[in-house]
Amino acid sequence: MALPVAEKYGSEIESKETTSKFSIVMFSGTADKFIPLGVMSQAAAAMGMEVNIFITGFALPAFTKNPPAELPFPAEFAAMAPMLMQGMMAHNVAPWDVMLRQAKELGAHIYACSMMSEVMGLKREDFNDLVDDIVGAATFVQMAEHGETFFI
Amino acid sequence: MSDVTTSHTLVDSRGSACPGPITDLAMAYRRSKVGDVLELWATDSGVKPDVQAWAAKTGNRIVSIDDEPDKIVVVLEIVRR
Repeated sequence: MALPVAEKYGSEIESKETTSKFSIVMFSGTADKFIPLGVMSQAAAAMGMEVNIFITGFALPAFTKNPPAELPFPAEFAAMAPMLMQGMMAHNVAPWDVMLRQAKELGAHIYACSMMSEVMGLKREDFNDLVDDIVGAATFVQMAEHGETFFI
Repeated sequence: MSDVTTSHTLVDSRGSACPGPITDLAMAYRRSKVGDVLELWATDSGVKPDVQAWAAKTGNRIVSIDDEPDKIVVVLEIVRR
């Protein structure tokens, strides 16, 4: 049952843009938010988009060399969490950090917020290798200009 | 000239959840050249709309999408790098 997609897309090939921007401000520190962070970053990078992630606030500890042993789920999802985690294992869904590594392999970049790093006493050497650099908010806003920006 | 040879590469993403198949495709795309054919095998149902979005975005051509009993088979021709 081959779909006639070749005809449908053939005429559009020449006019398509190849790169566009996908920027994420990652502020949360709970597991339910890290899963979509990984999925959307990896998907956007696979689509050939320029992906930049700005990690700040409660997200920062997960990107250090001494991360929390397990990311918590928010109280309202706690009852569903075991079923969700089991389902993810059964369906070979990669852990969020593996998805971010895949995104980075496809060109994504991750930047830690300089202000929040200072507040939490985190220096460049405290972050793991997922983090490309520590930058200020203005730098990230500049990177994200003229693209889509998501706040997680 | 005979030094320009195209290849047909199988990308086996069976058992890989979204966005695994599209990522595997993107990785293979990076190693490909114009004229190459990439054949993607996947079991994640999202792959059918996703490969169409990917092809539209990257400017490449879908040759066929087939539902086989145990997998979805997508054949793409790389026309843009």
